[in-house]
Amino acid sequence: MPKVIFRLFSTFVVFVGVFILIQQYLKPDSFGKYGHYRANAINDAKLIPLQYKGEKECITCHQDIYDLKYSDLHDAVSCESCHIPKILATDACKTNPPKVEGSNEFCGQCHAINAGRLKKGPPQLDFKDHYEKQNCIDCHNSHAPWELKK
Amino acid sequence: MGTEKIKENRRKFFKSSVALLGGTLLYSLLKPFELIAQNKEGAVKEDKANDTLWGMGVDIETCIGCGKCAEACKVENNVPKEPFYFRTWVEQYTVKNNGKVKIESPNGGIGGLKQSVPDKDIFKSFMVPKLCNHCTNAPCVQACPVGATFISPDGVVLVDATYCIGCSYCIQACPYGARFMNPVTKVADKCTFCYHRITKGLKPACVEVCPTNARIFGNLRDRKSNLVKFLQKKQTEVLKPHLNTHPKVFYNGLSSEVK
Repeated sequence: MPKVIFRLFSTFVVFVGVFILIQQYLKPDSFGKYGHYRANAINDAKLIPLQYKGEKECITCHQDIYDLKYSDLHDAVSCESCHIPKILATDACKTNPPKVEGSNEFCGQCHAINAGRLKKGPPQLDFKDHYEKQNCIDCHNSHAPWELKK
Repeated sequence: MGTEKIKENRRKFFKSSVALLGGTLLYSLLKPFELIAQNKEGAVKEDKANDTLWGMGVDIETCIGCGKCAEACKVENNVPKEPFYFRTWVEQYTVKNNGKVKIESPNGGIGGLKQSVPDKDIFKSFMVPKLCNHCTNAPCVQACPVGATFISPDGVVLVDATYCIGCSYCIQACPYGARFMNPVTKVADKCTFCYHRITKGLKPACVEVCPTNARIFGNLRDRKSNLVKFLQKKQTEVLKPHLNTHPKVFYNGLSSEVK
């Protein structure tokens, strides 16, 4: 074999070898297992802590309130729709209760009048005509707002 | 002497060609077995993944624009509270009597959408919740230069936050504007269908809190799931079908004004 060809060939082999070595070193562990991505990233996405625990967790202490809410119009409204978990609600709900003030503003998120809200949807109010200065739960039962407080 | 050398060379040539041919044949004989061995392993894995293909249905006819979903998403996924980072948001479309369309989404709908156009000018108005469409042909995945965004075996488009280089090509590639640059982690961020919840058997946070069940989440491959029932019952459409992205978020009652 001529010397020139040998040199060219060996340089090529060395280049490819170095490339493969560097690639092996830089490539993350599970890259390419399912496709052109790091397969372990799927597990990473599962590791985020839960904030919303679901109604099952609430029921363990508050079965009575759940039954009241579930008995009528608010049956589809989950506990956590209104009681936003502030800091891991179920762990700290005794020390840091997720209280809701029940203001016009708050209930108005669903019940304020808006042309985009369907007429057959939740009852809609123009709060200017309906006790503007008062909180909703001053009169309405908070977990069964279709009832008025006695 | 000259002819002898030619003969020798010829013999050498034939020898090496036969060896090459033999080697190729042997290799091609062994290759199928190798593939079968690989396929068996792969087939088991694929079968497992093929049971699930997550999707979502959105019912515009029942959405009331309360913004609970956008709020829950921010709490659940620790999304920055500024009003321009959203994994999901709700838009109000108002078609006026003069034919003009007003699209608004103040703070992504968090705190409830409020009517901004007087009743007398409104021809029709409706709410459209938006989120990542989890496309089967995802343009963002094609655009990513490092393989940091991908479609998981169960059909969810995810971002590998440790591998993303923050070039934001995917944000430009997304035709639905569903991605943003997270100012804390400095990488691309998007809806994951709450992957940490759905893999534990829970519903995504937005679906969990929706008071009118306007969002339906489920497995597209499970014929008994609520989502498949929803798709069978309603006439659903996807956003921007002409882009051939094949989204897995299906809208019922979609108007032609929706972009």
